[in-house]
Amino acid sequence: MSSVSEPKILELRRVSFSYSKQRSLIRELSLSVGEGEFIGLLGANGSGKSTILKLGSGILKSSSGDILLWSKPLPDYHNRDRAKLISYLPQTLDIAVPFTIRELVGMGLYPYDIPPAMSVDSALEVVGLQDKSTAYLTDLSGGEKRRTFIAMTLVQGAGLLMLDEPLANLDIKYQIELVRLLKTLRDEKNISIVMALHDINMALQFTKVILVKDGAMLGIGTPEDVLTDTLIRDAFDVQVNIMRQTDGSSYIHYGDNF
Amino acid sequence: MKNMPLRIAVIASIPALVFVVSLVAGPHMISPFTNDLVSREILFSIRAPRSIVALLMGMALGASGAVLQGILKNPLADPYILGISSGASLAAALGIMAGAAFLGTFTIPLLAFIGALITGGIVGIMGWKRGGLWPERLLLAGVGLSFLFSALLMLFMSISSDEGLRKAMLWIFGDLSMSEWAKIPYGAIFVGIGVTISLFRAKALNALILGDEFAHSLGFSPHRERFLLFVSVGLLTAASVSLGGMIGFIGLLVPHIIRFFIGSDSRLLIPCSALIGGALLCVADIISKAVLPPMELPAGIVTAIIGSPYFLYLLRRKNVLSI
Repeated sequence: MSSVSEPKILELRRVSFSYSKQRSLIRELSLSVGEGEFIGLLGANGSGKSTILKLGSGILKSSSGDILLWSKPLPDYHNRDRAKLISYLPQTLDIAVPFTIRELVGMGLYPYDIPPAMSVDSALEVVGLQDKSTAYLTDLSGGEKRRTFIAMTLVQGAGLLMLDEPLANLDIKYQIELVRLLKTLRDEKNISIVMALHDINMALQFTKVILVKDGAMLGIGTPEDVLTDTLIRDAFDVQVNIMRQTDGSSYIHYGDNF
Repeated sequence: MKNMPLRIAVIASIPALVFVVSLVAGPHMISPFTNDLVSREILFSIRAPRSIVALLMGMALGASGAVLQGILKNPLADPYILGISSGASLAAALGIMAGAAFLGTFTIPLLAFIGALITGGIVGIMGWKRGGLWPERLLLAGVGLSFLFSALLMLFMSISSDEGLRKAMLWIFGDLSMSEWAKIPYGAIFVGIGVTISLFRAKALNALILGDEFAHSLGFSPHRERFLLFVSVGLLTAASVSLGGMIGFIGLLVPHIIRFFIGSDSRLLIPCSALIGGALLCVADIISKAVLPPMELPAGIVTAIIGSPYFLYLLRRKNVLSI
């Protein structure tokens, strides 16, 4: 799917990261994100998914290796310029903040002196929250909270979204709603998305899947290539079956684990 | 919120109104257009500098309270929680009790300012880890130092002479009676710098309230922003304490009162808290002179007595917002 000529938004080249010298959290990891890609980042708890997202967003500094954003080293960017290209949303959004939805979404304008194309109102419309602009975050459902922050990133105008487990704590309706919204953003606005997730069935919807274990790459490619019985067993230490259906779609079967 | 421009206009006009009243009202009512020499002397030499000092102090406390509640993400934070005022009080009280006067009337304010800066520096060093200031560490370091300095202050006061003790007590509870023109430019410079830094970093403060990762994603360096805001709070607190001692209530509750009316966006919260903080202290000063003339009540006590019931009333009436 990816070729050499395809423009790369983000590239990690042999990136390692550790808080202390004893234990490396990320080991010599290389990956790239192309334009309009919808990438699922999978791995067991503690495998390094969040760390990879934070490294790619510049929140954490790598111990070794290069991280390039549009072919330029990420640390060379001014904070504000970087914020116009890449946006990161942490896993926990249950923060009791005193801002209204409109104020929160408006914060996406902070990196700009002259407001960019997308206004707060149109961003709220895209995520379907135009009627709740005066509400507070605490008054919203889990799915609406996620959509509020997605609207903030839209206003921010970043072409690459790094989302840390945005589906966690959402019921299946909101999960589907959010993934559908993200797919629309990719299709209509050519936004690239990298998101950490746990649901392997959901990961089958992505254009690309990255499977990590102990901070190292276990597999990268299309969901069909990466999400195999063998690789999933290696990554999660559990035996499951990937069932291929006649229409070409797949789903995961838990087998006789119970 | 509805009618935001009107709300802001009202908030902005209150300090001007209060300032005029503070010049006119008092044991001796004065017309601002008088030609009577005694009245003019009272107006320009006593009331005007005193009201300006009250406005400056109140502005510093209101603005620094709004900033500090944001960077510490704690609704109970006030400018005194970092121990900066305890350090200032200790230095000032020691100077008062020792009868220090090497710089005339500037001696005690200067000692207080130095005490505040040294304490701010220690709190900053204690709160520093892995390349930046951490809110929890700042808070704990401030509270720890505050206890230490308060204990030392009480120790020295308990062995001090009666006259020194009375003067020191008066200063600690906030004393505006020693306001004079000569001190105003120094106070105004530091309050001006502090308010300017905090206003320019108000967007960053909003982002920090969401969390460091959000702040980073929105294009800010969380550690750098927190450091700048900490410096602004330090300057504001130091300037305020050295101008007239410790005044309670304003730094803690004025930002909360303002949130009820204009919300939590720091770009409005900081200037509005400053304006209402200044106005409130000015009003408190008018009342403190009027209740039991010729005796003056400490302005800090008056701010708390008039402000707290109003805050509690708002708390019952409106939806509570967190910081």
